[in-house]
Amino acid sequence: MTDTALRPRSTGRLMIIGFLSPTVILLLFMVAYPIFSLIYYSFHNFSALRPNEPMTWAGLDNYTYLLSDNDIWARFVFTGKFVFLCVSMQMIVGIFVGYQLQKTFRGRDVLFTALMLPMMLSPVVAGFLWRYMLNSEWGVVNYLLTVVGMDKVDWLGQSTAALWAAAVVDTWMWTPFIVLLATAAFRGIPETIYEAAEVDGASPAYLFFRITLPMSAPVLFIALILRLIDSFKQYDLFFALTGGGPGSSTETVSFAVAKTAFSYFYTGEASALAMILLCIIMGLAMILVRHLSKMGEHD
Amino acid sequence: MKRRSALLATAAVAGAFGLAGPLNADTTLTFVWHAGTCADALMSIAKGYPDKSVSIVPALVPYGPEWHNKIASEFAIQGDAFDFAMWDSQSTAEFAGGGHVVKMNDIFDQSSYLKADLFPAASLSQYGEYPDGSGQFYGLPANQDAYGLMYRKDLFEDPKEMEAFKAKYGRDLAVPETYQDAKEVAEFFTRPEQGLYGWGQMGGREYDFATTASNSFLWSFGGELYNPATMEVQGYLNSPASIDGVQAYVDMFKYGPQGSGNWGFDEVNAAFQQGQLAMAMQWFYFNGSNADPKVNKFAATTGFGILPGAVGRDGKFRRQFSVGGQGMGINKYSKKLPELVKFMEWYFQPEQQTRYAAVCQTGLKSVLESPEWQGLNAYNAQFSKALQYLNDYWHLPEYPVMLDQLQEEVSNAVSGTKTVEQALTDAAIKQERTLERAGYKITRTAELPEVPDVLISPVGQDSVVAANK
Repeated sequence: MTDTALRPRSTGRLMIIGFLSPTVILLLFMVAYPIFSLIYYSFHNFSALRPNEPMTWAGLDNYTYLLSDNDIWARFVFTGKFVFLCVSMQMIVGIFVGYQLQKTFRGRDVLFTALMLPMMLSPVVAGFLWRYMLNSEWGVVNYLLTVVGMDKVDWLGQSTAALWAAAVVDTWMWTPFIVLLATAAFRGIPETIYEAAEVDGASPAYLFFRITLPMSAPVLFIALILRLIDSFKQYDLFFALTGGGPGSSTETVSFAVAKTAFSYFYTGEASALAMILLCIIMGLAMILVRHLSKMGEHD
Repeated sequence: MKRRSALLATAAVAGAFGLAGPLNADTTLTFVWHAGTCADALMSIAKGYPDKSVSIVPALVPYGPEWHNKIASEFAIQGDAFDFAMWDSQSTAEFAGGGHVVKMNDIFDQSSYLKADLFPAASLSQYGEYPDGSGQFYGLPANQDAYGLMYRKDLFEDPKEMEAFKAKYGRDLAVPETYQDAKEVAEFFTRPEQGLYGWGQMGGREYDFATTASNSFLWSFGGELYNPATMEVQGYLNSPASIDGVQAYVDMFKYGPQGSGNWGFDEVNAAFQQGQLAMAMQWFYFNGSNADPKVNKFAATTGFGILPGAVGRDGKFRRQFSVGGQGMGINKYSKKLPELVKFMEWYFQPEQQTRYAAVCQTGLKSVLESPEWQGLNAYNAQFSKALQYLNDYWHLPEYPVMLDQLQEEVSNAVSGTKTVEQALTDAAIKQERTLERAGYKITRTAELPEVPDVLISPVGQDSVVAANK
C-alpha cells in the first residue's frame, strides 16, 4: 500500500528533476559562473592583457576608486538624463502612434510594417547612419533646416545637442517597439466596452484616458520596463554616433564599462563597475516588477 | 548503414570544430590591420610570394579602437587567431610589456637577411623599441607615416589672391612655415559665403583623432606631454607652452566649417576633395588618394607639404608633429614562426618594398633613400624630409588610458566645454592618478619649466627654418 502510494510521487519528483536539471545546469554555466567570476574579479587588481603580472587582492579598492571618481558619477548622470529623455519620448510617441494604428484604415498593414524597419537595424548601423545625417556641414538634417530658413546646428559637437541627437536616434529606433506592444494591447480591449461607453456619451478623450490606457497598462508597463533596462545599458549607439564625445559628455555607464574592460584592459576595475551597474539595473527592475505585480493584483 | 552515418556525422562535427587533421599542407599566415590602401598593397604583393604553400590572409578592421581591441583581445586570451599584426607605434609598449610579442632581436640574430640596419635607426626605435632606449625591438617599421599639409595651389598661386593677401598682411602669400603664419593664411581664405574655409584638421573624440593633431601644435610651441624622468604630468602637459600650443590648435577651428571640431580623417579628406578647404592637416598616408583625380577633383592643383612649426614663447622655432603609421609585430602565440620569418625575409626585400612604397610609406632604408622613390610623386621627397620632425606619445603600457584621458580633455577644449588650461590641467591630474595606480613613483621638481621642451628633448632653433620651399 505504502509502496504504491509513494511510487508515483517519487517518479514525479524524478521527472521534475530530470526536466529541470538541463536548464539549471545551463543557467549555472551561463549565468551563475560569469556573475561569480565578475564578483571575484571586482575584488582584485588584474589585467587580462598582462598575464605576467599576478592577480592581487584589492578588497574594496576598485569600488572606492570608482565611487570617488567624479567622472563615473558624470556617466551616471548622463545615463539617467538619456534614459529619461528617450524612454519618455518613446512612450509618448509610441502610445500615440499605436492608438492610431489600432484603427482600421487602408494601407494600415503596409504602414505598420514600414514603421517597424528602424527596430530591425543594428544600433551600430543606426548610429553610423545618423552620424552622417547629422553631420553639421553636409548632413541631410542641417540641409533641411537651412531649407526652412533655420541655422545649422552642430549636433554632435556640443554636449546638449549631442544628448538630444542621441535621444532622438534611440527614439527613432525603438518607438516601433512601443508601437508594436501598444497596438497589440489596444486591440486586445473588447470592442463592447467602447460601444457601451459611446452609448453613454463618452468623448474620444474619455475613451482613451479612462478605458484604453488603464486596460492596457500592464502591457505598456512591461514595455516601459524593457525600454528602461535596455536604454540604461546603451553602448553601441553611442560608440557609432558620438564616440562618447564631445569630451566624455555622451559616455554612458555601459560605455565606460566597455572602455575600461576592452580598451584599458583594467579587468578588475571594469568588473567592479559592471557590478555597480548590475545592482542598479536589478534594483530598478525589482521595483518595477513589484509595481507590475501590484497592478496584476488590482486587476 | 546507421554506423556509417554516425561516423560521417562525427567527422563533420570534428571538422567543424577544427579537430580534423589538415586536409592539405597549405599554411595560412593571418595578419590584423586596419582596412585601407596599405593593407591592400600588402595583400597584392603577398600574392607574388614564391612559396605557394603559404598564403597570407587578412583580418581587417576599421581604423580606430576596434583595431586596437581586436589585437589586444587576442593577446588577452593568448590566442593564435592571427600570426602577425600591424599596430600603432605607441601600442608596442602595451603589447610587448604584456609579454605577447616576439622579440625582433632574436629574429635579427637568426635570420641571414632581416637585420636592424635595414631600417633607419629612428624608425626602428619609433615603431618597435620597448622600453625606450633599451635596444630591444618588438616591431619593424612596416608602414611609416607622418602628419603633413595639403593645400590648394590654384588659390596660393592665383595673382589676385596673392595681391589681396599682400595688401592685407604686408607679406607674400606662401605655404606657411609657422602656425602663426598659418593662422593668417587660414583667416584670409575663410569665406563661408563662398563655401571656402582656410583650414581643416581633425578634432573628433574617437581614438587619437584630436590628440595626434593637437600634440603637433603642443610640441611645436615647446610643450611636452610629461617628464619621463620624474613621471610628472602636471606642470608639463599644462605648462604655459603646452597651453599655447593647444590653444593655437583650438583657434584654428575658427577657420574650418562649422562642426569640424568633430572631424576624423575621412571628413578632412571629403571637405578638401570637395574644394571647401584651402589648407588641411592630413596624414601622408592619404596623399596617394588625394593626388588621384578620380578621388579628388582638385588633385591636379593640390600641393603637398610639411606641417608648419611655431615660434614659442621663448623665441625658439620648433617643428614637431605626430608620428603615424604602424610597426609589424609577431604574435608570440603563433605556431607558424618559421614560415612567417621566411615570408618577412622575402617581404622586406627592396623589390617588394619598392612596390609597396609606390602607394604607401615603407620603412626600408634602401628604398627611402633611393632617388627613384623620392622622385616618384609630389610628396615622397617631402615625406623623407618629414621623418626628422616626428614625435610620439608616451611609450608606456598605460598608453590606452592616458590617450583616452587626453582625448577627452582636448575634445572638451575643442567643444568649448572647458578652457584649454582647465582641460589640460584636468588631463594631467587624471594621468598622474593613472600612473600612480600603475605603480609609478612621481617625483616633484621644485621649478617647473615654462617651456618644458628645453628640459626634455630640446629641438628649438633660433630662427624659422623653412621646409616647404
